[in-house]
Amino acid sequence: MEFANFPFLSAILLSCVVGLLVILFIPDERKMLIKWVSLVFSGIAMVLSIYLFFAYDKTKGGFQFVEKVLWVKSLGINYHNAVDGFSLPMLMLTGIVLFTGVLTMWELETRVKEFFAFTFLLVAGVFGVFMSMDLFFIFVWYDVSLFPMYPLIAIWGSTRKEYGAMKLTLYLLAGSALILPGILYLFVNSGLNTFNLVTLMQPGTFTPFQQKFAFILLYLGFGILAGVWPFHTWSPVGHVAAPTAVSMIHAGVLMKLGAFGVLRVAIFLCPEGWQYWAQLMAVLATCGIVYGAFVGLAQTDLKYVIGYSSVSHMGIVGLGLATVTVEGMNGAVFQMFAHGVMTALFFSSVGYIYDKTHTKMIPELGGMSKTMPVASGYFIVAALAGIGVPCLASFWAELLVFISAFKTYPIRGALAICALVVSALFMLRVVQRTFYGEKRDEFDHLPDVSFGLGIPRMILVAVIVFFGLFPSVMIDVIQVASIPFINGLP
Amino acid sequence: MTSSFFHNPTLLAAAVAALLPFFTFALIMVFTRPYPRLSAVLSIGAVSVSLICAIFLLGSHWHLEEPIQYTGKWMISGDIHIPFGFLLDQLSLLMLTIVAVISFLVQVYSLGYMAGDPGFARYYAFQSLFAWAMMTMSIAPNMLQFYIFWELVGLASYLLIGFYYEKFSASEAGKKAFVMTRFGDIAFFLGLLVVLLHFGNLNIQDMNSVDVTARMSPALITLSAILIFGGVVGKSAQFPLLTWLPDAMEGPTPVSALLHSATMVAAGVYMFGRIFPFFSNSAVAMTTFLTIGTITMLLASTMAMVTRDIKQVWAYSTISQLGFMVMGLAAGSYFAGIFHLTTHAGFKALLFLCSGVFIHEYETNDFFEIGKYGGRGLKVPIICMTLAAAALSGLPPLSGFFSKEAIMGALAEQHNPVWLWAGLLGAFLTAYYSFRLIFSILFPKKVEAVHQAEHGGHGHGHEAGHHHAGIYWVMAWPLIILATITLVLGFFHTPLENFLVGHHGGGEAHGGHHAWLLYVAVGLALSGVGLAWLEFGRKGAPQVGFVEKVEPISALFANRWYIDRFYRLFLDYFIYGTVSSLFTRNDRRVIDGGIDGMCRATVGTGWALSFLQSGMLQYNLMVMFAVLALVALYFFF
Repeated sequence: MEFANFPFLSAILLSCVVGLLVILFIPDERKMLIKWVSLVFSGIAMVLSIYLFFAYDKTKGGFQFVEKVLWVKSLGINYHNAVDGFSLPMLMLTGIVLFTGVLTMWELETRVKEFFAFTFLLVAGVFGVFMSMDLFFIFVWYDVSLFPMYPLIAIWGSTRKEYGAMKLTLYLLAGSALILPGILYLFVNSGLNTFNLVTLMQPGTFTPFQQKFAFILLYLGFGILAGVWPFHTWSPVGHVAAPTAVSMIHAGVLMKLGAFGVLRVAIFLCPEGWQYWAQLMAVLATCGIVYGAFVGLAQTDLKYVIGYSSVSHMGIVGLGLATVTVEGMNGAVFQMFAHGVMTALFFSSVGYIYDKTHTKMIPELGGMSKTMPVASGYFIVAALAGIGVPCLASFWAELLVFISAFKTYPIRGALAICALVVSALFMLRVVQRTFYGEKRDEFDHLPDVSFGLGIPRMILVAVIVFFGLFPSVMIDVIQVASIPFINGLP
Repeated sequence: MTSSFFHNPTLLAAAVAALLPFFTFALIMVFTRPYPRLSAVLSIGAVSVSLICAIFLLGSHWHLEEPIQYTGKWMISGDIHIPFGFLLDQLSLLMLTIVAVISFLVQVYSLGYMAGDPGFARYYAFQSLFAWAMMTMSIAPNMLQFYIFWELVGLASYLLIGFYYEKFSASEAGKKAFVMTRFGDIAFFLGLLVVLLHFGNLNIQDMNSVDVTARMSPALITLSAILIFGGVVGKSAQFPLLTWLPDAMEGPTPVSALLHSATMVAAGVYMFGRIFPFFSNSAVAMTTFLTIGTITMLLASTMAMVTRDIKQVWAYSTISQLGFMVMGLAAGSYFAGIFHLTTHAGFKALLFLCSGVFIHEYETNDFFEIGKYGGRGLKVPIICMTLAAAALSGLPPLSGFFSKEAIMGALAEQHNPVWLWAGLLGAFLTAYYSFRLIFSILFPKKVEAVHQAEHGGHGHGHEAGHHHAGIYWVMAWPLIILATITLVLGFFHTPLENFLVGHHGGGEAHGGHHAWLLYVAVGLALSGVGLAWLEFGRKGAPQVGFVEKVEPISALFANRWYIDRFYRLFLDYFIYGTVSSLFTRNDRRVIDGGIDGMCRATVGTGWALSFLQSGMLQYNLMVMFAVLALVALYFFF
């Protein structure tokens, strides 16, 4: 058993679990109390995750804030948490999105208690995956985070919500069905009788063939959750059906869970499999980038547009990982973070507009900049981040990925870069049709975002701009992990 | 580092000049948006400080020997270093000053032009954003930083073109500008990547050194030069991406003056000058650029000959003059291109700001209408505009004359005489369309007495502030300053040349053996003016241009040679109609359909198998018997 001075990581997990338990004991009618409790516990989680990001010792590197307790000796399962440069941005992202998500749902009135309880359960699972260093726990947390999606979408959702929820669940379970054999295959073949990731990732544990076989299982399994083309269609449908905060967490964090799983499990354990399959990864990622942008062009539902832009942006993550370079990995992890914050902002603004106007069909909106200047402003900032305007966070991520992709795969890289024009076209089309133009009289009486409701959006904008102006704050942390990892490759 | 930074006035001035507008942008967007006056004061205050710094820098480095470079780390990721810093040399100092001067004058002018607009504070915020991006771009030491701010300049342009966002045409124009320039920027970015991979470095001074030829093969240099030039084609509206610029005139007129004529669109030409030695390593690339510049110049001139919109005329002429600058640079004369950029910035801003006064006063863009309403009554703008049009036409002794002669001289040095002829034809067309406009306003044909009486009296700039529709002094003074610059800048030809290319490089463009060229060029320009006089100026002039007499040609020009039509069809039928809809159908039918089909198959199988579990004993026994029988058969045979 080893512990740092204070178990920060367990504290983050506990803030979710305790929050969940406290909410369960509050009576249904005390809606305000439930919201405040959620806010406090999500605030604790966010502050802790941000603290960790800045407290991490970059000169020392490696895994820090280690907490390890033996759980099942005969199977070599430990409750084992630690963070490195890859997981820190993800933890911070989850903290920020959870907190802003809770604030965004401040006006929720139906089944408040259940909603926040499920949300905390979901986020506990997400935090668990990001910090766990034990394969068994990663898998358990992963499924913990998937299960609440079904009720969250099916109960509070809209637009074909049962279909969306069912589709999402089936897809993600299919992914789990690939991940579990992958993990077990590695567990059995290592002969070490341990699920400990740090032990298993030692070079020479697995033969090249085993790595290639396990990698493809794990890549596809986690890739489904990351929206890898052509397994992406659950994601726009799910985004559209989900309620605002769930869309935020879903697109902002949950999809990153898939990409992070590919990184943490597939790439860490099977680096040779990674190098072997990198070509395929690059093809699928490039298809996703180009395809997502073109399909986004044809959408008329605001949430579908964002859904397909997510497919395109997650393709950039995949492309970065496929390059097998330091820059590519840096870019990919940065893009996970930047895209998470950006989509959270997207869904948060669309959620507000939908709440008030009861429509998210682009032709029915128009002139919203006049009706709701502030809400529109948030959406426009997100759209600009989405098309890669410099000095907003995602620009740097895309820049790094594109440079390394062009270096490694010139043709695929160039194709992905060309898709930037299409993504600019479809984002600006949406902005123009929804927010510019003559204002509609039927929306005249609707209120704009109030100061209180604006806080979550302001936080998200501030994060986007901060990391856009000071990208090295993020990159310096990520590369503490990526440089040794790439140098250690066989 | 910090202390040395504050003790070094050069770095401090550069940092303040470039970064201060960013803070005002942030301040206005976050805090002072509800207070229009305060926002304007902040923005103008910041840009005047930038102006002072820029002039201080230019003055104190007039005899600069070695470029000053200062870089800090912005982001380092593995092998990729993205520095943030300043490169102060003759070119960047000149550009910084141009941007600061025009920005300052335009922001002052906007106090009058934009007065009372509901988006007044937002307007100044965007102006600050533009000033920041443009000035930081001008002094970037590294092509990556250059590219980053180049994109930000594009963002500012998008926001300012679509400033009147409730107008469909304005938001459409903003989108078009962004997407079309993005198209060029993709090529630019790919070109930079090629250089980065094969040369390993994007520092501007390194790219301009002779190392490049040693480390990159000629084919690669040509490839990357042509790709990088894609950025110029987009930003400076060269053929074939030239149609966004006339549409960009949907923005407020001061924006057109600042961004879409004097500074932002000149950024493309500036970039050409910035890495001129790199480009000149490839003769093939330079010939390509010369061709593109020439085509652009002639196409845009023809378009300007038929339009009736005052801003459109100047927009086409901007495209055409940018093409002319590209021609000068591509013909090998660094000085000629940059000198024309400088003089053009002055007189083109002046032309737009004058037009703005007319548009503000008469609320129409049609210059025949403006003439009929008594446009010549507005003394300051009409005098300034005539002066600027003369400079645009290259008439002596105005600034445009000197810079045009420099480019003509460079064209005459080319072996192939076709470039010079094209240049001379361009000079003739330019003079013709400029004075077609001027004469239409000066000598209107059907004077409507009502408007004459109403507007004729109080056009004078200085006391017009009292009238609700008059021009305010804040609008007149920038005109007068720019007119003065247009008048005197030409006489700084030699000092500027010494400053920019040093004493050794002098005399490249205006050798004695081109004396005849001077007379020919001026003669052609004067004949252009004369033709315009015959058709639009003299008493009883028909007011029909020679082009308009031939219907198909006039239609061709008016429709921008159907370039836009082609893009529209391409977008509608190929992008939306084919690729996008095919992919969408694939998503719905093939992928989703496949998954749904699998689900239905699962459900169906379950349904079929459910008959086995019907609960009826006979069926169960029958199945059991059948299975046993089959097993028995298998074992026996």
